[in-house]
Amino acid sequence: MELKDYERDMTGCSRCSICKWIPLNQIKSWRFANVCPSISRYNFHAYSGGGRMLMGLSILQGRSELTEVVTDIIYKCTLCGACDVSCKQYRDDIDISETLQAFRIRCVEEGQLIPEHTVMIDNLRREGNVFGKPKTERGRWAEGLDVKDINEEQADVFFHAGCNYSYDEELWPIVRGAVTLLENAGVDVGIAGGEESCCGGRAYEIGYQGELEKYAEDVIGRVKASGANKLVTACSDCYSTFKYYYPKIGKALGVEVLHITEYIDRLIREGKIKPTKSVPMRITYHDPCHLGRRGESYVGEWKGDNKLLRPLKYKRTGKEGVYTPPRNILKSIPGLELVEMERIKEYSWCCGAGGGVKEAYPDFSIWTAMERVEEAKATGAEAIVTACPWCERNFKDAIKESGERVEVYDVIELVLRAI
Amino acid sequence: MLQRDAYKELEDTIGPENVSEEQALLDGYAWQPSFSSSPKEKLDIWLWRPRPEAVVLPGSTEDVQAILKVCNRYKIKFKAMSTGWGAWNSPGTEGVIQIDLRRMNKILEINEENMYALIEPYVVGAQLQAEAMKKGLTPHIIGAGANTSVLASSTSMGGYGGTGISTSMSGRNVLGVEWVMPNGDILKLGAPGSNAGWFCGDGPGPSLRGIMRGMFGAAGGLGVFTKCAVKLFHWPVPHEVHVEGLLLDTMIKIPENIKFYFCFLPSFERFADAAYKIGEAEIGYMLVKQTIGSTLATMAPHLLRAIAQNQSIKAALNAFEHIFMFMIAANSKRDLEYQEKALKKIISETEGVLITISDMPTTASMALWGSIRSSLTPLAFRYSSSFATTLGSLVAWDNAVLQSKAGSEIKKQFVERGELFEDLVDNPWGGIYEGSTCFGHQEEIAFFDAHDLKTHKGWVEFEKTCVQAAVDTPMGVGISALGKGDIFGPLAGNYHIWQRKVKKAFDKEDLADSTYYITPEEK
Repeated sequence: MELKDYERDMTGCSRCSICKWIPLNQIKSWRFANVCPSISRYNFHAYSGGGRMLMGLSILQGRSELTEVVTDIIYKCTLCGACDVSCKQYRDDIDISETLQAFRIRCVEEGQLIPEHTVMIDNLRREGNVFGKPKTERGRWAEGLDVKDINEEQADVFFHAGCNYSYDEELWPIVRGAVTLLENAGVDVGIAGGEESCCGGRAYEIGYQGELEKYAEDVIGRVKASGANKLVTACSDCYSTFKYYYPKIGKALGVEVLHITEYIDRLIREGKIKPTKSVPMRITYHDPCHLGRRGESYVGEWKGDNKLLRPLKYKRTGKEGVYTPPRNILKSIPGLELVEMERIKEYSWCCGAGGGVKEAYPDFSIWTAMERVEEAKATGAEAIVTACPWCERNFKDAIKESGERVEVYDVIELVLRAI
Repeated sequence: MLQRDAYKELEDTIGPENVSEEQALLDGYAWQPSFSSSPKEKLDIWLWRPRPEAVVLPGSTEDVQAILKVCNRYKIKFKAMSTGWGAWNSPGTEGVIQIDLRRMNKILEINEENMYALIEPYVVGAQLQAEAMKKGLTPHIIGAGANTSVLASSTSMGGYGGTGISTSMSGRNVLGVEWVMPNGDILKLGAPGSNAGWFCGDGPGPSLRGIMRGMFGAAGGLGVFTKCAVKLFHWPVPHEVHVEGLLLDTMIKIPENIKFYFCFLPSFERFADAAYKIGEAEIGYMLVKQTIGSTLATMAPHLLRAIAQNQSIKAALNAFEHIFMFMIAANSKRDLEYQEKALKKIISETEGVLITISDMPTTASMALWGSIRSSLTPLAFRYSSSFATTLGSLVAWDNAVLQSKAGSEIKKQFVERGELFEDLVDNPWGGIYEGSTCFGHQEEIAFFDAHDLKTHKGWVEFEKTCVQAAVDTPMGVGISALGKGDIFGPLAGNYHIWQRKVKKAFDKEDLADSTYYITPEEK
C-alpha cells in the first residue's frame, strides 16, 4: 500500500503523544517511562510516531516537500513498532507502523535515499547480504557440523541461520549450538549453508519493496524443494519477515515457521532437551522487537475505508508476539535467576539496531542500546539475554564502546551451558 | 520565515540541534485536532492550526529566558507548550515561534515530609505518580490522562481528575512557581520568591495565583512556567502495585483496603443528592460520573454502534443514566467499615442501587487501576475517532449537575439529526472535589468523526449552542470559555476586563500568544 492509502490513519492522529510512552498503566518510574528511542534522543515532535504521521500528512497534502531533512527524520527510527503498540491501546483505526513503512517506500520511490542504505542494497544485490561479505563465505559458520545439506537431501526441519549469524563469527557458536541441540534432540534438521539467501526483510524496512519480493521467492523455492514441514530460524528479523511480511505480500512459506526459542521450549516440554546443569547467574531478558510485537503472524488485510468498523482481529497489537517461550527456557535452567526490566514484552525498549539505523546512524544506535543496558543494570542483573543476533551484536558493540561490565548472551548459549 | 539574524541568535542561544524551521517538522506542531474550532468546508485543512515560524527546544530556565529575550529584541510572538495535546498548545496566529518544553522533563524533588513534588514542564502524571507512590504519595492527575503535563494543568489550564474528591484539582494544588514572564524576567511565586523552599504558593514571597492562572489558566498567554511544586496526597496502599497487562487487560491484586462500586441513582436530583451527602460524610477516594454510553464507547465501540440502531435497547439503557463510580481507599479496617457503612446508607437514602465490583478481578483491576492512573479517557477515541467536551464549570455541584442535564438535552437534538454520534445522550464526565461539595464539575462529552464534515460541524455547532446556553441560563464559566472572555466575562465579575489589564501589565509588547487567553483589544 502507498502512503496515500494511510491518509485516514494520519488525519486520525489526535496529537495526544501517547505514542511516546510505554502503556500508561505500566509506567513504573520516571527513568524508564519512554518507549520511543527516536523522540527520546532527538526531541522534536516529528521524531515520534505521531510526528512522523503528521509529516507524512503534510507532504501528502502538498503543504511541504520531502526534503533531505525530512528523509533523515524518517530514517532516524528503528521501526521498532513500540509507538504503534502504545497508540493501539486507544485507537482501533490507526496503523502507525504500516504508515511509516509506506513513508519509507515513498522516500525510495522519490529518490530520497540514505547513502549508507544504498550501500546496503548494493551489497545485497552483489553478495546476497547487506554487509557486503563475500557470498562464497556464507556457509562458513557451519563448517565441521555434521548436519544435512538441504540442497542435497531432504529434512523435516529447515534451519535458516540468516545473514547476521552467517557472517558474524563471534555469534557462530549460537547457531552451531542451536543445530547441535536440535540434532541431539532427535530432530531431522538440514541447512542451506552457502546457498542460503537473505530473507529481504531489512531491505524492505529501509524502503526497498522489490527486494523483499525477490528474496521471498528465493526462500520459498528452497523451502519447497527441501521437503521440510517446519522452518526454524534463530534470527528474529528473519522470523518477523517470514511470519508477517511474506504473507502480507502474498508469498507465505507454506510451512510452520518457528523461532528457535519456540522450538527449544517445545522440545524441553517434551523432555527431549533437559537443562540439568546449574548456571548460577542473575539475568534479565530483552525482548527483540521482531520476535515480540513485530513477530505476530499476518492475519490478512481488512478491506474497507473506515477502520473504525474494522473487526479487532485485524488490529496488530503486539499481544501475540513470542514472549513466553524464551522465558520458559530461561526458567527451566537450574540456578538461573530471571529478573524483569521495567519495559518488557509488547512495550520493550528497542536495542537500536533495526530499521537501517545501525548502518546509517551508528551513534543513535549505540545510544539506544546503552539506554537498554542502563535499564538492565537497574535490575541488578549480571547479563542481558536476548534471542536475536541484531540485538546481541548491538549490545556487545555498545558495551564495548562504553566500557560497561554487563555480559550479553543469547538464550541458546545458556541452554548449551545447562546441558 | 523568521529574520535570519533572529534565527541565528536562537541557534547560538540553545544550539542549532534545538532549533528548526523545517516545514514538515513544523507541521507536527500545527496539527491540533482536539478542541480545534472553526472547521472549514474543505476537509483537509480543518485541523491545521497556523504553522509556527520555528520550533525551539530549551533545556533550562536560562534557555527559556534567553529565547524570550531574542523574541523581545525582534518582536517575535511565542507560544510555549509541554506535552501539547489540544489546540491551545499551538500558535493561534501567524508569525509565532513554538517553544517546546520537552527537554525540561525532570522531577527535581519529591518532598515526603511536606508532601509536594517540584517538577519541570514535561513531567507527566504517570511518571510523577510512579515515583510518588514509592513514598506512599500520589499526585492529582487530570482526566485527559496520565500522558499530560502536571505543570501545565497546574499553572496554565483547568484540570480535574477522577480522584478529585481526595486530590482536589490541578489549579488548587500548585505551590511555588517559577515563571519566565514575557519580557524574559523571572518571577518566583510563593515560598521560592523568598528563597524559602517550594512548599507554599502564597508566601512568604509574592502570591499572584489569581493573576498567574485564575480559574482556567492563561494557556500560555502570560509567558512560560518553567518549574512548579504541586501538592502530593496520601496513597494508602503500603506497597507498589504490581500491574499485569496494558490497559483493558490490566490485572492487579486488589488491595484489601480498596473497594470499588458502581452507584446507580434514579434521577439527576438524586444523583446530585448522593454526591452532596458523600461530600458531607467526607468519605471516598474517587467519585466519577460514569455513563452506559461512555462505557460502551470506550470498552465496546462495535457494540454501541449496533445498539445505536435499536430504539428499544437504547430506551432500556437510558434507565441507567445516573451512575457514578466510587472508590474507597481506607487507612484501616475500621476506616473501611465506616466508609462502606456510610456509603450504603447514603445510596439507600437517595433511592439508589449499589453494586460492588471489587470481587470481580478483571473488571475491578481495569477500572480501579485505570481510574487511579487516569489512563482510560483516551479510549473515547475508539468509537468515532474524535471526541470533545464542553460546559464543565468549576462550580457548586448543583450547578454542575444542571450543566449535565442541559448538555444532555441539547445533545439529544444533534444526535437525532445525525450531527453527533449516538452515545445514549446522557454523557457527562466529572465529579466533586476535595472531600466536600464546594466544587463540582461535569463536562459534557460529544462524539464526532473528524473525517466527516457533518458530525465535525455538528460538534462545533453543539459547542456553540452549549456556550450560549451557559450564558443565557446562566450556568457558569466552563471549559469552552478558553479565549472567550468577552462572551463569559459579563457573567462573572467582568473578568475579561481584568484579564485584559493583566495581559497589558505583564506583556506590554503582546508577545505571548494569547489566542486562548484574552486578546489585548476587545473583539
